[in-house]
Amino acid sequence: MNVNQLLIASTAVGQALLENGAEIYRVEESVERIVSAYDVVDVNVYAVPNTIIVSITMSDNTCLTKTKRIRHRGTNLDRVQGLNDLSRRIVIHRPDFEMIMKELETIDKRPVYDLKTQLFAYALTSSTFALFFGGTLNDALCALLIGPVVRLVSFYLGLVKANPFFVTIACSLTAGILGIIGTQFSIGNQFDKIIIGVVMNLVPGVALTNSVRDLIAGDMIAGQAKLVEAILTATCIAVGTGTAVSLLPLFQ
Amino acid sequence: MDFILPCLYSFLACLGFCIIFNIHGKIVFYASFGGALGWFVFLLLSFAHHDLVQYFGAMVVITLYSEIMARIHKAPATLYLITGLIPLVPGGGIYYTMEHFIEGDTSKFLSSFVHTFAIAGSLAFGILVVSSLMRMYQQLMLKMKYNRANSSKKRV
Repeated sequence: MNVNQLLIASTAVGQALLENGAEIYRVEESVERIVSAYDVVDVNVYAVPNTIIVSITMSDNTCLTKTKRIRHRGTNLDRVQGLNDLSRRIVIHRPDFEMIMKELETIDKRPVYDLKTQLFAYALTSSTFALFFGGTLNDALCALLIGPVVRLVSFYLGLVKANPFFVTIACSLTAGILGIIGTQFSIGNQFDKIIIGVVMNLVPGVALTNSVRDLIAGDMIAGQAKLVEAILTATCIAVGTGTAVSLLPLFQ
Repeated sequence: MDFILPCLYSFLACLGFCIIFNIHGKIVFYASFGGALGWFVFLLLSFAHHDLVQYFGAMVVITLYSEIMARIHKAPATLYLITGLIPLVPGGGIYYTMEHFIEGDTSKFLSSFVHTFAIAGSLAFGILVVSSLMRMYQQLMLKMKYNRANSSKKRV
């Protein structure tokens, strides 16, 4: 494998890790380990949530740098696990370029839960969180019906590539309005428990966790960026549900 | 009974989140169990009469659990951590802060705002303490391995 191929392969692994919601230090460490497994003098990796830069110096003093801009980020922990395995295997077996690219393709094609299963998951989380926060069985039933609707809203907004904060506002607004309507038709008892149950699907748990783990590892810029993301997402949830609750007089 | 039902709810909720985060295989069960374990510790610590202590303790246990499971299953610790943390995220706090704001009750708004932030902070601090200790432990192990390898070389 020449330096060009090594650069392309290692950057591709780093990019895939970033896109699927791995922490920054995992991305940097994986790429560093992969490159160091081959015959190189020096490797430098710098990653922030939107970009990854890999720079390699080979033993004959040829240097190369590659930058990748990451446009879409999501959370797919199955792929993170697969990529983590792959980078470990590369370090041990040192496969050639074609092998790595083929492996990356198979990881990219690993099964994703289809929309029906995801709707079921949203129904499950919404209803159990409504119970968890002290709602009645009626509230849980109401949340069970609203959860899938919220997922559909985020799915269709995702198709037109809406910005994630707008999606959060739209989803929490939907949750708020439907929760209030549900209590008006006396399916549910307390709309606050229903709304909290549904909105728990949108809370920035991933951003909060990854931001702290990045800050510990010393990636200050990435940690701050994710902290801001977490705070903004929480604010968006408040704005969406707040708009719904302030429309409450219209329903009465 | 006060313990079983909430833990069951958080287990089921985490199960749903495993699907949302696209986790497959046996990890689904273990990650969801982490969520239930966290809430169990939260309830167990209720004698402290301070919910920030409860959140901190639960988070410490979840982080420890996820680091241990990560080593057993050879999977990234984030899988367990992100899923197990979800029931502890202050979704209710965000909602009630917003409600007090809309009602125009400034003192209640500020107190629940600060409280929500403090919960997020104690969760972050819980992860911070355990993850930092784990990193130090890893470094220590590496050093010991290195030293042992060196000393055995000298003997030969």
